[in-house]
Amino acid sequence: MARRVSFSLMVGAALAALLSGAIPARADETCMSPYMPKITGQEDYVYVWTLGIEGVGDGSDKLVTIGANPADAARYGKVISSVSVAGRHEAHHAGFGDDRRHLWAGGLDDSKIWVFDVAPDPARPKLVRTVDSFVKDSDGVVGPHTFFALPGRMLITGLSNAKDHGGKTALVEYNNDGKFIQTLWLPDPAAYGYDARVQPRLNRMLTSSFTGWNNYMTDLRKVIADAEAMKHFGNTVVVWDFHARKAIQTLEVPGAPLEIRWALQPRHNYAFTTAALKSKIWLIEQQDDGTFKASDVADIANPMDVPLPVDISLSADDRFLFVDTFMDGTCRVYDVSDPHQPKLVQTEKIGSQVNMVSETWDGKRVYFTSSLLANWDKTGKDNEQFLKGYGWDGKQLTALFAVDFLKEKLGRPHIMHFGQERFYKNQIYAGEAGPLAAAR
Amino acid sequence: MRGHRLLAAAVLALAAVAARAGDDARLRAVDPAELTYTYAVGRFASEYTPPAPGSYTLPPIATVTDHPLLDADGRPTTLFALTQGRLAVVAFVYTTCIEATGCPLSLGVLHRLDRTIAGDRELARRVALVTISFDPERDTPARMAVMRSFHAPASDWRFATTRSEAELAPLLADFDQPVAKLRFADGVWSGLFRHVLKVFLLDGQKRVRNVYSVGLLDATLVLNDLRTLLLESARAAELH
Repeated sequence: MARRVSFSLMVGAALAALLSGAIPARADETCMSPYMPKITGQEDYVYVWTLGIEGVGDGSDKLVTIGANPADAARYGKVISSVSVAGRHEAHHAGFGDDRRHLWAGGLDDSKIWVFDVAPDPARPKLVRTVDSFVKDSDGVVGPHTFFALPGRMLITGLSNAKDHGGKTALVEYNNDGKFIQTLWLPDPAAYGYDARVQPRLNRMLTSSFTGWNNYMTDLRKVIADAEAMKHFGNTVVVWDFHARKAIQTLEVPGAPLEIRWALQPRHNYAFTTAALKSKIWLIEQQDDGTFKASDVADIANPMDVPLPVDISLSADDRFLFVDTFMDGTCRVYDVSDPHQPKLVQTEKIGSQVNMVSETWDGKRVYFTSSLLANWDKTGKDNEQFLKGYGWDGKQLTALFAVDFLKEKLGRPHIMHFGQERFYKNQIYAGEAGPLAAAR
Repeated sequence: MRGHRLLAAAVLALAAVAARAGDDARLRAVDPAELTYTYAVGRFASEYTPPAPGSYTLPPIATVTDHPLLDADGRPTTLFALTQGRLAVVAFVYTTCIEATGCPLSLGVLHRLDRTIAGDRELARRVALVTISFDPERDTPARMAVMRSFHAPASDWRFATTRSEAELAPLLADFDQPVAKLRFADGVWSGLFRHVLKVFLLDGQKRVRNVYSVGLLDATLVLNDLRTLLLESARAAELH
């Protein structure tokens, strides 16, 4: 027995050394919290956190599950289920906890949070908890935005505050049971918030900055026409000592830097963001002395046209950056092999408007949704609301399927996350063939 | 490419060794990518200097309760009987784990902690290390004893297991440590577990003060956290 267990220990140590060379993962989304388990292989479902529209279906915000596995032809590209949360709350972003079982989803208007359990039946998530005390718990933070899994905890970024509904805001932490832990206000004069992403290897967290409730709940045309309102957008990215939860550096990134995506490969000590109002790609890069530097490395389309870059997705090999621009409904793919010199390699019109983009870890599929904010989406015939799946071969995007969220009476689709039957059935299998059939 | 093939072959061979309860032939056919569970890419050795002890706070995350255990000599005990109101680093592992950023990393970090704590009189007096198996079927007290002798603890580092999965389940639930048996499609257990690496820092009031996972499980960082909690209790004592 002694010999066998000792051998196991040596096996473990040897494997740890071997695996330090990195085995590429094959699927799931890129750009997720590194603290949660990933799904591997073909995703079966796309979960879409969706804003309700008055007069469309039940009019409520809801979590919609779409079939995404072509091996399951009957449900591929079809609505499988939806769970309404009663009422419209400006459903926006969502994120899995560290067990990848519970999906936390937020409403930017009244700051409610819903937690769905996807494990018992991944095709039909169930609402298991509602947190309606976010503002009170956090001592005045409004607009739960990013949900980023930490070990044992959920890190939530705010967009606003209850005092003046402006952009001053904070990071808020809850434990996995939904109990409040702490609030960390962003430092003046970089007090606005939006996204937060951690690179544990460097013990660094980056936070970006958008605007407060007063602006994001107002018609976009009115905001743009109001010179005073336009002054209230973030222009900074803050670098944090993550473990100490202390802001240590403020970087000037003018024009509302939104989504942050750390590079995923070893030794790639940098991240990308895009400035929505200035239409630029920014590289946030660690310097030799350990500090960070922000550089605008590319224009996105013609910044004078205000194309409004919104979501971005970085491929697992750090080669391609997918950039959605809301106003022209277009996805631009940049080769960022040299992060200092992004090269535009593909431009694809997705629809009349487009917001979120999620690429799979294997780099073969890219999903898009259309809605930005209820009061910022286009109107009339340009108010297309969809989830679209595309194939990506490294050169071009090819349409796979589309779900019309208005025709399906669902609402405005926003953030997407992936689900898989066999992950929640705790299965592994050999090869790609037949796993879905075997799982059922 | 050749390197990847060699790596894959090595991983699968080792996986087969670990899967004593499973089907070796089928496990060999599994893509190695299936056996990595997290988004960690490549080496997750920390590339930073942790913040100094006392320069930050560790707000309580949760409170845990006592749970029955079997020590490595097969004697009934409990979690709190092992920690005795001291600061504690509590880790959940299974001894045949092959996940690079999982149990081998956890054991390696606790090994380093053990040696440093043993050399520091204050830490040695006030800190307990506890490694608990979540594989009661195979990780018997005898096997935990072998694990103990392999690591030859210099500080108060205890190895424990539980009598059964039924006894283990409330403990894992209390610590929010999800663990699941990885099965082939026909339901046969592969011998592997899916688990997210978690190591817990407890204070003297049974509160979880930090949870370490990939990228955070660094011996220097854990030591700084322990010293931060010692400074906190010293300050609290001064106030009283």
